[in-house]
Amino acid sequence: MKLSIGHLFPELLNLYGDRGNIISLRRRMEWRGMEAEVTEYKLNDNIDFSKLDIVFLGGGSDREQLLVCKRLGGIREAFKDYVEGGGVVIAICGGYQLLGHYYKLKNELVPGLSILDIFTESGVGRLIGNAVIKADFSDVPIVGFENHGGRTYIGDHKPLGKVLFGSGNNGSDGGEGVIYKNVIGTYLHGPLFPKNPHLCDMVIKNALEKKYGKAELAPLEDEAEYKANSFIVNKYTRK
Amino acid sequence: MRRIIAVWVTKFLILIGRLGGKGGSSTPGHFALKICPNILKFLSGQVRDGIIAVCGTNGKTTTNNLLCTMLRAEGKKVVCNSLGANMLEGVVTAFASSADLFGRLDADFACIEIDEISAVKVFDHFIPKSMIITNLFRDQLDRYGEIDITVDYLKRAVEKAKNITLILNADDPLVAAFGKKTGNPCVFFGVGEDVGISLNETKEGRFCSFCGEELSYRFYHYSQLGDYGCGSCGFSRPEVRFEATEVNISEGLSFNVDGRRIHADYRGFYNIYNILAAYSAASHAGAELKDLQSVLGGYKPQVGRMETFFIGKPVVFNLSKNPAGFNQAISSVSGDGRSKDVVVVINDNAQDGRDISWIWDVDFERLKDVKAKTFTASGIRHCDVMVRFKYAGLENTKDTGDVLKAIEDALKTDSEVLYVLVNYTALFSTQKILKRLEGDYKSGKGGRWE
Repeated sequence: MKLSIGHLFPELLNLYGDRGNIISLRRRMEWRGMEAEVTEYKLNDNIDFSKLDIVFLGGGSDREQLLVCKRLGGIREAFKDYVEGGGVVIAICGGYQLLGHYYKLKNELVPGLSILDIFTESGVGRLIGNAVIKADFSDVPIVGFENHGGRTYIGDHKPLGKVLFGSGNNGSDGGEGVIYKNVIGTYLHGPLFPKNPHLCDMVIKNALEKKYGKAELAPLEDEAEYKANSFIVNKYTRK
Repeated sequence: MRRIIAVWVTKFLILIGRLGGKGGSSTPGHFALKICPNILKFLSGQVRDGIIAVCGTNGKTTTNNLLCTMLRAEGKKVVCNSLGANMLEGVVTAFASSADLFGRLDADFACIEIDEISAVKVFDHFIPKSMIITNLFRDQLDRYGEIDITVDYLKRAVEKAKNITLILNADDPLVAAFGKKTGNPCVFFGVGEDVGISLNETKEGRFCSFCGEELSYRFYHYSQLGDYGCGSCGFSRPEVRFEATEVNISEGLSFNVDGRRIHADYRGFYNIYNILAAYSAASHAGAELKDLQSVLGGYKPQVGRMETFFIGKPVVFNLSKNPAGFNQAISSVSGDGRSKDVVVVINDNAQDGRDISWIWDVDFERLKDVKAKTFTASGIRHCDVMVRFKYAGLENTKDTGDVLKAIEDALKTDSEVLYVLVNYTALFSTQKILKRLEGDYKSGKGGRWE
C-alpha cells in the first residue's frame, strides 16, 4: 500500500522542525512495508489534490504566511473540495491559522482560506511553552510545544483535545486545535508526530481507509517514542 | 561614590563566583546596575578609541575573542566579555571587572559581544563605533519567536546609532538586506567562491527581504549563506571589501584576503567567517595586523568550540545550539576518517530555549554513514534525542540522562576518537566532567579506559 503526501511550501512553512512530521509519517509507513511518496510543492507549483492522500501544512513567520495565503487563495475551491470529500490534512501553527477565515493582526488582516469556520486574532504576548492535551481517541495524551501570538476561536468545531497543560487555542476556552472530518489543525509542534506515534498512526490509518476502504496497521515497537511522550506528561501534569 | 561602590561590589561578586566555580558572569553586573544605574555609561565613556559590538546568531564569542586578541597583539588595551555573558548585565560585569578600584578604566578599545535582543537595551548606555553582524540563523526559538523578531530588535538598536559602521556578512541575505535597509555605512566580508560543502538543510531567509521573491543562488555554503540574487527586484550579494578566495579546508583553514594568505589550524568552515569578521573589524579600526599569523596560531578557541581533550584517546568537544551550528558539527564528525563514538547532550533549560524541536532540522541522517561504534543520547532531553536518532536510522544507539556515564561508557570502546556535542547549558557542566576525566587520566587514575 502506498500514500502520496503533499508537503505544501516547505521552503516557506517549515518552522520549528516541522519536517520531523514528514519524517515520522514516512518512517512509520516504511517500517510496515508500505510506501510513502512525499512531494514538496513550491509556491508556484500546480497542486492536483485528487492525487494526494495527505496534505501537510507547516508553520511560518507572519511574512511567509502572507505569501502563502496569496497563493492558496487561487486554489481554495479545490482545497475545500478535497477537505469535504474526506481528504486528510495536517495543518500546524501558521498552517492551522490559514484554514480559518482570517488572522487579524494589529494593523493588518491576513485573509484565510475559510476551509473551516474558525478565525484568529493577535493577542498580547505570545503563548509559549510545553503543552499536554487529551484527545478522545486515546488515553495517552498528545504532547507538544506551542509558540503563537494568535488566538484561535473554533466556534462550533470540535477541538483536537482538551488542554491539560499549556494555553491551547486561545488560552481561555480550554481547547487545543481542531478536528473536522479528516482535517487536524493544531498549534502543537515539537514536532507533533515523533512524540505522538498514536496520532501519527491515526492519520496514516485515516488516509489508508479513505484510499483503500479499510486498513489495519501492524503494531510497531514504540518504546522510545512513548518514553519521550511520558517525560513531558510527567514533568508538566503530575505534581 | 555609588560608582565606586558598584565597581567594588562587582569585583567582589566575581571573586565569589570564581570561588564557587561558576562559569557565567551576569549576576555581578545585575547588582552593579541596581547600585548605580549609569555605571555602564560612566565606564564605557572612558574607552579611548571606541567600542566594537559583535552581534549575530552563531560565532559571536569566537569572533569577539579573536578580535580582542588581534587588537591586543597591536599593543592595545582591550576590554572584552570573553566568557560570552552577552546580555546587559554581562556587559556591565566585563567593564566593571576591567576598572580599577577607583572606577577608572584604562582601555583603548572594548570588544563587546551582545545578544541580538539585548542590543537595544545596551545601546541606551553606549553607542559603539562599529558593529559586526556575523549571521542571522534560527536560535532559541521560544525566546525570540521568529527570526523576523530578532531582525526587528536589531533594527531598533541600530536606529539609536545612526553613525556606526556596520561590519556585515555579505553571504547572508538577511544580514546584507538588514544593512542596506538601515542606511548606515556598511563594510562587507564574505567567502567569494564555491567551497563545495553545501548540505540539504532547512534554509531560512532564502526569500528576498525586499520583495518576497525566492532568491536564486550561484552557490551555497550552508544554511542560507552563499552567492545570491533576486530575479525580481535586483537585490543581490553586495560588493565585498574583505573577500576570502582560494579557500582550502582540507588541512585546517587557509584562504587569501586583502592580498595575504591566512592559515589557521582550526576545524570547521564557519571559522573562516569568524576570522574574516574579526579581521575586517580590526582592520577597520586601524590595526595593521602584521603579526596576524602568530595571533591565529596562539589563539585558543574558547570552551566547547571544537575543544580537544585527551582521555586515553582524543575527545573533541563542541557547542552546537541550533541547526546551523549542529549541521556544521556533523560535517566535522563525518569528515573525520577515524573510528569514533558520538555523544549528544541536549538540555532544555531557559537559556537553551525550552523548545528543542530544532533537533529535527538537524541532518542527523548524515551520521548514518559515519558508522560510529555508539551514538549516545544524553542531557535532560535524552529521550527526544533518542527518538531523533531512531528516525534518522542510526544504529547502536543508547540513552542515559547521566552525562558522566554517557562519556565514561563511550570512552570504553576501541574507537580512535570521541565526539561530544552539547547545547548551551550543558557546556560548562560537560566541560567540567571532561576536565576531571582528563586530570584523572593524566594522574594515572584513568587506567580503566585502556
